Amino acid sequence: MTTAAGPPTGLPSPEAESRGFLRLEWRILRTQLAQGFSTSRLRYALIIILSILLWFGLFHLVREGFHFMKGTLPQPIHADVVQAIFNMFFFALFLMLIFSSGVILYGLLFRDGEVAYLLTIPIHEERIFQHKFQYAVMLSSWGFVLLGSPMLVAYGVVADAPWYYYAMVLPMLVAFVFIPAGIGAILLLAIMHLFPRKRVHLLVLSIGLLVGVTVWCFWSLFSRPETDLLTPRWFQEMLRRLQLAQEKPLPNWWLSSGLLKAAGNAWSEGVMFLSLLIANALFFRELAGMFAARIYRKAYWEAASLGTPPTRVRMGWFDRTLNHCLGFLSPPVRLILLKDLRLFRRDPLQWSQFLILICLLLMYFTNVHPVSYPIRVSQWVNIVSFMNLSVVGLLMSTFTTRFVFPLVSLEGRHFWLLGLLPLKRESILWAKFLFSVGCLLIPCGLLILLSDWRLGVPPMLIVQHQGTSLLLCLGLSGIGVGLGARLPVITEQSPSRIAAGFGGTLNLVISTLFIVLILALATLPYHVYLARQAELTFAFGIESAPLQITTHSWLILGSLASLIVSTLAALLPMWIGARTFRRQEFH
Amino acid sequence: MIEFDLVVRRYGRTVAVNGLTLTIPRGELFALLGPNGAGKTTAIRMLVGLLQPESGQVRVCGVDCSRKPREASSFLGYVPDEQYLYEKLSGREMLEFAGEMHGLERATIRDRIAREAERFDLASFMDNLTETYSHGMRQRLVFAIALLHDPQVLVVDEPMVGLDPRSARVVKDLLRAEAAAGKTVLMSTHTLALAEEISDRIGILNRGQLNFLGTLAELRQELSSPHQALEHLFLELTNGHPSPDAKERPS
Repeated sequence: MTTAAGPPTGLPSPEAESRGFLRLEWRILRTQLAQGFSTSRLRYALIIILSILLWFGLFHLVREGFHFMKGTLPQPIHADVVQAIFNMFFFALFLMLIFSSGVILYGLLFRDGEVAYLLTIPIHEERIFQHKFQYAVMLSSWGFVLLGSPMLVAYGVVADAPWYYYAMVLPMLVAFVFIPAGIGAILLLAIMHLFPRKRVHLLVLSIGLLVGVTVWCFWSLFSRPETDLLTPRWFQEMLRRLQLAQEKPLPNWWLSSGLLKAAGNAWSEGVMFLSLLIANALFFRELAGMFAARIYRKAYWEAASLGTPPTRVRMGWFDRTLNHCLGFLSPPVRLILLKDLRLFRRDPLQWSQFLILICLLLMYFTNVHPVSYPIRVSQWVNIVSFMNLSVVGLLMSTFTTRFVFPLVSLEGRHFWLLGLLPLKRESILWAKFLFSVGCLLIPCGLLILLSDWRLGVPPMLIVQHQGTSLLLCLGLSGIGVGLGARLPVITEQSPSRIAAGFGGTLNLVISTLFIVLILALATLPYHVYLARQAELTFAFGIESAPLQITTHSWLILGSLASLIVSTLAALLPMWIGARTFRRQEFH
Repeated sequence: MIEFDLVVRRYGRTVAVNGLTLTIPRGELFALLGPNGAGKTTAIRMLVGLLQPESGQVRVCGVDCSRKPREASSFLGYVPDEQYLYEKLSGREMLEFAGEMHGLERATIRDRIAREAERFDLASFMDNLTETYSHGMRQRLVFAIALLHDPQVLVVDEPMVGLDPRSARVVKDLLRAEAAAGKTVLMSTHTLALAEEISDRIGILNRGQLNFLGTLAELRQELSSPHQALEHLFLELTNGHPSPDAKERPS
């Protein structure tokens, strides 16, 4: 045994480390911004414009909602309802942020190359954790701030809130997100330290818990038939059912109370709740830091020494059946399609968040059952079924942006194999197109069918919606694959980063425009006709109204135009993409 | 100096390092050889604080790498086989960050950056973003980062991958110079000619166990093959291709 050398002198203090990391982050941010504004102006402009449009769209929508409630409900009930909505919204976000920050931090703290570098230089583990924690908070909560801020500003406008209400909104939101993120981080560190081998089981369990809580919330809200929808009595019943989210020890209650107090000219109480949130945010951040100082490196060691057990995979019954069913396709297209399907299936981290979204929609659609509503509510059913179709379409566009658009880029590294095979490059694109159509059509069709069935819409509308979903799936797949081939990012191996790039953003924008166009052409005229019929039935008891000439033309021409638009959306990007893909060089 | 004392590390059921005992004194350039999966990288990862031994101890300059990883890493310079660089920093900014995290003064950092820039010929690209670097440029920068704080111990995993002949010569000379200056150098490599050319001692790791430890001359003596190249001896020891004319290894 050798005598230890003297303790290392001059290692940086935690404060000096903190300053070093701040400088590092600032330099990286500055470079990214400078690069972005010099080489990707269009992308940045698009992102900013779309974000502003989204913000103002939400602001307008929510403001109308608050105006409606203010005009409909008597004051005491109105205040309670607003508090209940805020409580429920922030409670749901509170749970989701615990989960999402834990999942994001797992990747950042245990699988990231930067951490493997930082752990080999003399930095406090707590500092590495804080560096990654802040990044995880930002990643998991930017959407929350983008979606939450228009709602809160809209409320301020409707409630004639004083200036300090608006000044408090952002600090309150930021302080709030640190609390669930801190809890998520502590849970993650504890799991990775105590049960590293059970981490996947615990992830599944927490997803189950999250889904369970959501089911319970939906169940408690909508389990009984409603007969006096949107009346004060109905609102009071809803408030009673939302009791869980209104517990005073919960941070969502502090946030909603603080905002409402500030909006109601109660300056001191608003500041008190803001202080409470900031104090708790700092507490959970420090607590997570303390945990990290003690157990992060040990947890990292545990995770690094688990090893990967050899996984034997073979063509299962599903693949065999699919292979048999797709016998009409040419072998290269079929094999590439099956390969993509296997890769997608075996990477649960990629599709689990999408599955959660589908499950949430499933639960929502399952619980929509207004068959016992009075006749005037059929108007509302008509609107809801149309909105549900739109939501599913938008969800599918995020799917194609996140999963389909990066497919061609991801082949970049494997092109030494694909490029040498005796097949046309177009076959690769068509295989991806069919893969996308298959993956979209099943959930899209089923979700819309479920929504229509629960809403009790007429059979013709069900058929019409299914036809629209087919058109949407074909068009979205063509746009996703075609643009993916036209604007590939072959140096990037992370699908989320590819999707977040310019091409992905453009894909999302074009897909959204396509959805709006198809819905306006193919579905909206039918809904307008149904709305008019419902009005006549309600006002004059007329069961079947004749089609107006404008609606009639809109129906016929719109259907034809939607067929043409979706065919163009499927084929044109594929043709453009194929031209680029044929010439593409892979290094 | 580096000490491995009866170190064991498993990945699940696979034993990666099995009872490794090894001491590398100051001023020695030690080459760790072994086939793929022999446990070389695992041993190095325990040394640099990325893994904990299941049993046994790993020490750097007398400091236990598991109990005091931060102190131990302050003695170390590490060149991994897969380098991590901040893509959105320049080489100079990356060096400044590394120097700052090792507690160097600003003036010292400036001087050391100039020294490393000259030693590794970084000046022409040091202010460019690292995302634009070739593999050889990245490797040279990583060496510069590892040596910026004048570590007592230099650990290098596969040093020659991607280097052109000139850079390879620079690295070979550097490793020898570091050892000559009294530093401890541990190099893991598949390039047997490199080990043969510059190392003072070699260790051959196979299936987690040290099959041989000594100089090349001692290895030849042990295998009674005085004129065989290291490649031949290595294959013999690791059961890669047993030589029909080589004598049986003493038990």
